[in-house]
Amino acid sequence: MAVKFFGQFVVEKGAVSRVELLKAIDLQEKTNLKFGEMVVEMGLMSTVDIAKTHQAQRNEDLQFGDMAVKLGFLTAEQVQQVLTRQRNNHLYIGEALIKIGALSEAELEGYLKAFKDDQLAYVAEKIEIPAGVPHQPIWEMVADLTYKMLTRVANLSIRTGPCTIIDKLPSRPIIAEMGFCGEVSARYLLSVSENTRELVAKAILDETSVENEPVEVLDDSVMEFINIVCGNVVAKAAQRGHTIDITPPEMRSDAQEGITVPDDHTALMFPIYLSDGEVFELTIFVAQD
Amino acid sequence: MKKVLIVDDSIAVSRQLEKIVNSGEEFEVVAQGRNGAEAIKLCQQHKPDIVCMDMNMPVMDGLTALRSLSQLMPGITVVMVTSLGGVGDKYTEALRLGAKDVISKPFEKDSVLEMLRRV
Repeated sequence: MAVKFFGQFVVEKGAVSRVELLKAIDLQEKTNLKFGEMVVEMGLMSTVDIAKTHQAQRNEDLQFGDMAVKLGFLTAEQVQQVLTRQRNNHLYIGEALIKIGALSEAELEGYLKAFKDDQLAYVAEKIEIPAGVPHQPIWEMVADLTYKMLTRVANLSIRTGPCTIIDKLPSRPIIAEMGFCGEVSARYLLSVSENTRELVAKAILDETSVENEPVEVLDDSVMEFINIVCGNVVAKAAQRGHTIDITPPEMRSDAQEGITVPDDHTALMFPIYLSDGEVFELTIFVAQD
Repeated sequence: MKKVLIVDDSIAVSRQLEKIVNSGEEFEVVAQGRNGAEAIKLCQQHKPDIVCMDMNMPVMDGLTALRSLSQLMPGITVVMVTSLGGVGDKYTEALRLGAKDVISKPFEKDSVLEMLRRV
């Protein structure tokens, strides 16, 4: 039901044990060299030059290869050679499981197909993000997974509106918030009415009525919902090679007053409509690079 | 009857897991904690057979608590229940630190019970 990676899927299916999976991951880690390790293996740079490049990266946001070119340790052509070799030598987890004897080729083929079918529910749909906003594919994915989880986890029937850039978040009774950090820096905010909070709580708690539940439990259900969304965003981003982490969810105490977008941030607002016409919003405060 | 400890900062998730665990005839929830530090204290107090623990929690996260528990109580059965289960690095780190399994959120009742029986 969630975004998964292939190794996790085959363990859950009982096709390989967790010990076998760890053995395959160890083999992958030994085989799939990082850029710096690969240039040393190819004899293009010394470990001293590697250290100097890492040091320079602390002062300027450049990828390792670009920085090594800037410092004169590599040519642009050599960077391409290293990238090609990395790509050609890359060992995927399925191949590693075959190499250690945990799966046969025929089994791998079957499980890859089953995995693809299992994850079909999370194939992204195209969502337009206004031009000029950094890391657009990530925010597309955030909105897409929010919509999918609203349908699958919160059991809501929704319609979505186009994304716009806003200066201030409209006043709402309840706003739950989480942070993304790592490769991107942003805040994820879900603004809902009391009615929508109840619908989400019913689904999360698996109860037919939440009338007698304390506000704390209702709020907590909304926080858990955004935790599920953001956790799955991190998993999906990892599949695409991005390293992102999350901070625990919290409730905004200033939701009623409307929230001004912080300096040096762009706020993307995605309106979401329920079938009865009620509207609520997903907003992402994206920190400018 | 197997004793189960639930550790999650979300009251909603703890409630959901408690309902699922208690619906399995062979399991009983003996205590609930809200962060990794409470998990360590409650493990020493209740000696549970299985610990179901979240990863992303305030005060002390689940992986830090798992690392401590593996040293303090070797052989303890810990299962991570997390929205980050699909992140390969986190999943691998949990298994390397001694977790017996990792369940991704959102989860289904049957898959949780099946996993508890398996571990």
